[in-house]
Amino acid sequence: MDFFVQLFTNPVGFYNSHELLIAQMGINAILAIAIFVTFYSGQLTLANAGFMAIGAYTTVIMNIYLPTPLPLDMLAGALLAGAVSVLVGLPVLRLRGVFLAIATIGFVEALRLGVILNIPITGEGQGLKNPTPDPLGGIVPILISVPILTYMVWRLTHTRLGQAWAAIREDELAASSNGINVPVYKMIAFIISAILAGYAGALETHINFFIDPLEYSVTRTIQILTFAVVGGTTNVIGPIVGAVFLTSLPEIVRQFAAYRDVVNGVILILVIIFRPQGIVGRGGLAIIAPRWWTRWRTRERPAAAH
Amino acid sequence: MSALLQLTDVNRSFGGVHAVDDVSLEIKEGTIFGLIGPNGAGKTTLVNLVTGYIRPQSGSIRLLTQSHPPPHAGEGRAAAVELARRPPHAVAGLGVARTFQTLRLYRNLTAIENVLAGMHLRRRDDTLQQLIPIPALLKEDRRRLKQARELLARVGLPPDSFGDRRAATLSYGDQRRLEVARALALNPHLLILDEPAAGMNPAEKDRVRALIQQLNQDGLTVLLIDHDMRLVMSVCHHIAVLNFGRKIADGPPATVSQDPTVITAYLGSQAQKTAAHVPGSEEMDVAATSTTVAAEPASPLLDVRDLQVSYGAIQAVRGVSFGVGKGEIVALIGANGAGKSTILNSLSGVLRPHSGVARFGELDLTTAPPDRIVRQGLVQVPEGREILARLTVRENLELGAWGRRDGRSAHRDIEGLMEQFPILGQRRDLLAGQLSGGEQQILAIARGLLAQPKLLLLDEPSLGLAPQMVDTVFEVIQRIHNDGVTILLVEQNALRALEIADRAYVVETGRILLSGTGAALRRNPEVQKAYLGG
Repeated sequence: MDFFVQLFTNPVGFYNSHELLIAQMGINAILAIAIFVTFYSGQLTLANAGFMAIGAYTTVIMNIYLPTPLPLDMLAGALLAGAVSVLVGLPVLRLRGVFLAIATIGFVEALRLGVILNIPITGEGQGLKNPTPDPLGGIVPILISVPILTYMVWRLTHTRLGQAWAAIREDELAASSNGINVPVYKMIAFIISAILAGYAGALETHINFFIDPLEYSVTRTIQILTFAVVGGTTNVIGPIVGAVFLTSLPEIVRQFAAYRDVVNGVILILVIIFRPQGIVGRGGLAIIAPRWWTRWRTRERPAAAH
Repeated sequence: MSALLQLTDVNRSFGGVHAVDDVSLEIKEGTIFGLIGPNGAGKTTLVNLVTGYIRPQSGSIRLLTQSHPPPHAGEGRAAAVELARRPPHAVAGLGVARTFQTLRLYRNLTAIENVLAGMHLRRRDDTLQQLIPIPALLKEDRRRLKQARELLARVGLPPDSFGDRRAATLSYGDQRRLEVARALALNPHLLILDEPAAGMNPAEKDRVRALIQQLNQDGLTVLLIDHDMRLVMSVCHHIAVLNFGRKIADGPPATVSQDPTVITAYLGSQAQKTAAHVPGSEEMDVAATSTTVAAEPASPLLDVRDLQVSYGAIQAVRGVSFGVGKGEIVALIGANGAGKSTILNSLSGVLRPHSGVARFGELDLTTAPPDRIVRQGLVQVPEGREILARLTVRENLELGAWGRRDGRSAHRDIEGLMEQFPILGQRRDLLAGQLSGGEQQILAIARGLLAQPKLLLLDEPSLGLAPQMVDTVFEVIQRIHNDGVTILLVEQNALRALEIADRAYVVETGRILLSGTGAALRRNPEVQKAYLGG
């Protein structure tokens, strides 16, 4: 409970003592936004850890060998992840459901075991040392990025593109009968998701002293998936709430010390049993939304056409 | 009037089956064109060929749009466009909209959102405008919303009460209407409706008919596929009939409904033989059937009283009563969607009726669990056979005997069946999926027999089978009956069913229309009417 007591009574002190946690929350929130984009278009892709790795390694390698400013390195990392996603997506996006999930996991492992561990510039199994780590300053771009990206993706779901994604998610055959070019729109979602994951990877290197290939394994991908599952995927807030909740959970249950993992797991199971649609289900935060809010949302609306 | 859609020698086969076999059609602009044919005739395959979901193996499908530019400018300015080998979204872009036989709405989106998604091709990319959603930039949004509401109103879904409801929560008829609204959102030249009235009651069908006529009056060309002959005959200007993938007739409704080949296709291969064999006797028999309601058995093995079954909002069976006596073959016949399979499914415990009585001996079928019903000797052979394609013939049979505790005699029965049906014996180690349709049907029946039925429910045993295979299957049914099994048979091939049935009931839109002995119903023109409309 110390966690919450401090959060509400002494926010400044909380911030100072939990900076790394808050930075990690922000990075996980961006990863959650990334997986939301593919979920929203009906694709179960688990390639995010791979795209993170591309973003992270590109940033650090450019930082070591090139005189370019750091923001440019990060941008390059994100864009390279996007470029690789086109190559991965072309063969892989023909698959659906669990087959797509398996193929994208294959990509994550192939990238880590086949590429990163085998080319000298990545430091192979040893990892890479970040020449300019900045744990305190690095939090600033993260905290700025999260709200901007959240807003952009939220608006994206209202565009022609977002509407096509929703249609594809609901029924691909029907979507093509409405003239929606299904493969192209799926690919766009996959690329945007990869760029976001690459960007999150780039931001993460900035607050760390060291990048380790083990960070970008399937475990990481599954962790990102649980953000979306626990938070809910009906809107972009869901995965973000999931990310924040799951990132802070180990801290919240810290007092259980040795049983921390057990309590962590039990809470996850409870959420999945009692909120299968995620913490943020249809119609917003159903548990904590006050009655008047629900009533206001479902009110009889006057004809909007006039 | 000029042609809008031209099909020339279109071919498509799946494996060895000619689903669409050298079909040529011409749909004139501004008309309502009906496409009819028995189950499995290739109608939906033809729609999928036109709309790009399936590619033809040969032939051409041309869309001729001279009168007005296509709705999605940029593509297809030419007078004639080849549709074959274009992907579905490109065909839609040329102004061909469709609905789906099995509803394919965006179930978790609201009705309005469904229609808005249908306007995809009319919406410009607005990613940047939406990023700064100030009212001046979103004028387009409001215009589209207004159009979507108008479309909903047009198909009979008032937008104020239906617009914000999720598609999945709408009633079945409303979902069909919403699909039409979504297709219309494309602003099409040609609207293809694949069974828009399936599963609707007569009043709902009337509304569909009015809607189709209204759309046509507004200048839309419609291709209508439906099993309800009354609907098709009354709205269409021109009708083509498919059977086993071939076009067997083409012309105005009046000519088509009198065409002997069409009557044969619908009522079964024996129609003409029967008519020829009993010259002059029809009228006498009609008089006989209309007075004698079927002689129901005094103490039936199966007794059904006032059975009512619904699927959510749609009522499929509306108060059906009948009985099956020990040792009889009783047939339920009627057009597709009449509710025949629903009746069988509610007897075998797969579905639960919402009211009525169904007794099998001492057992109350409305509450008994399905496994208990089977153990008491009421066994269903489901429509579409449902054999396990990746197991061998023998394994399928072994699973059929799974519920039995007398392992050794079950084993003997399996061997006996393989001898009795050499078709199965010779193929015992073949995968069931490699059998032909008719062989699969016999396997399904044999599997049903292993549960030692007293009453066997057969659901459409001749579905999708070639004529000579239909003969084989009916021989098998006759043989089983001679061995002492009572049979309740559901069939679309009415004349074949009536030939072997002791008694039969004609089912139409969930009610029993006629009943009588098989021989009498066979000559009754009312039966023909129930199938072909009139």
